[in-house]
Amino acid sequence: MDWLGYIPDDLRPMILWGPILVAIGALFLVLKLGIKRRFLNTILNPMTSWLSRGFYILSACIVIGTITFLISILPYLGISISDWSPLLTVLDIVGFIFALATAIYTGILIQSVKYVTFWNTSFLPTLYTVSALSTGTITVMMSALAYNIVTASSGYPEQLMAALTLTEQILIIIEAIVLALYLFTRYRGEEYGTYSVRLLLSGNLKYIFWIGIIVSGFFFPVTLEGIYSRLHEQHFLLFLAGAFLLLGGFFIRYATVYAGIKEQHPMQQWVENQRSLNTLKPGTDVT
Amino acid sequence: MHGKVLVIDYEKCTGCRECELACSVYHTGASNPSRSRIKVIKWEWEGIYLPMTCQNCEKPFCVEVCPTKACHVDPGMNRVIIDPDKCIGCKTCILACPFGAPSFDEVERITVKCDYCDGDPQCVRFCEVGAIKYVDAALFNSDKQYAAAEKLINIKSGMINE
Repeated sequence: MDWLGYIPDDLRPMILWGPILVAIGALFLVLKLGIKRRFLNTILNPMTSWLSRGFYILSACIVIGTITFLISILPYLGISISDWSPLLTVLDIVGFIFALATAIYTGILIQSVKYVTFWNTSFLPTLYTVSALSTGTITVMMSALAYNIVTASSGYPEQLMAALTLTEQILIIIEAIVLALYLFTRYRGEEYGTYSVRLLLSGNLKYIFWIGIIVSGFFFPVTLEGIYSRLHEQHFLLFLAGAFLLLGGFFIRYATVYAGIKEQHPMQQWVENQRSLNTLKPGTDVT
Repeated sequence: MHGKVLVIDYEKCTGCRECELACSVYHTGASNPSRSRIKVIKWEWEGIYLPMTCQNCEKPFCVEVCPTKACHVDPGMNRVIIDPDKCIGCKTCILACPFGAPSFDEVERITVKCDYCDGDPQCVRFCEVGAIKYVDAALFNSDKQYAAAEKLINIKSGMINE
């Protein structure tokens, strides 16, 4: 297959990033556990627990990614894989499915917390998925560019980089639209969703939102990539855009997790309401 | 609903937190309220104290989200329990519970929750004002009904005497 002068197999070594980064992420998940040595117990309840399903998804992603990578370096060791194309196609398809599941799963895990209105919406996994696609694409672009620079070759032609840059800009715009819809629906929804949105837009998380997400995650990457698409020689622009976008991706997750507010227990809510209405005074007989 | 449940009367609770101490000592051997399975929520200004513990929901979210099946329903005693040998301390159940009932034990590194002390809840034994009771689920409201009826009788008898 030849697309814009680019042969996908050449980019296969870049897939190394995938399993390594997912494995590092999975390691952090294990380190977060109270009793780390029991992490294999996680496999016991895939029927209802998304954490359990996540264990299977991440494991499959790491294993398939590693196999794909190992096969892809065989030609460099003098072993021909020209007859392996059906196997590679199957591996690519299965690997893609599990990579996509890895991107979606975190959002679904957080969405499954029913008592946090801000999280309990399908916009959250959608946002995480689009964010994963945009940050993933720029990581591949940076890897390809670094490969070109290090090997002093043009393995990844300009047409491909231009197409990827355009795709990347479109993904960032889609991400911004999804974020806007997500916040709008949460703001117009239940009480605690509104509080969460206020926390993000004008509360304690406002700097994270406006500087970390809007400026660093959307504005800078789109602008820098726009300039880069006209000034191809200025490679640092792409790396700079990538750094800002990855930072923005981090802050999207940070802000959405920290803005989640759990609905109050009815009794707690009753007391708080009375307090805000100023009907409870010291010595008031609440019985 | 069947079996026995903990019934809490916040009107009687004085906020002494004796229940937390009794619970902690019974389960951990340590007099440490932070390791207790029951937590007293306080509104000092209003003078309201609410001992909160697991509600043993009929369809518990903690059981649904537990990845290791450590958190499960014990049908014999109408309660949700956490198997300490299976729990990995992922805290997912803490996040899922609408009442914030399970808590993370920093010493044992697992999540813990009320298990009715295997049928003899220590919080009930040590609550001097009787704010916590362990009663049959079908009769959990009867005390209040009796109290209301008694109050009515007293009022009426007072009126008759006058």
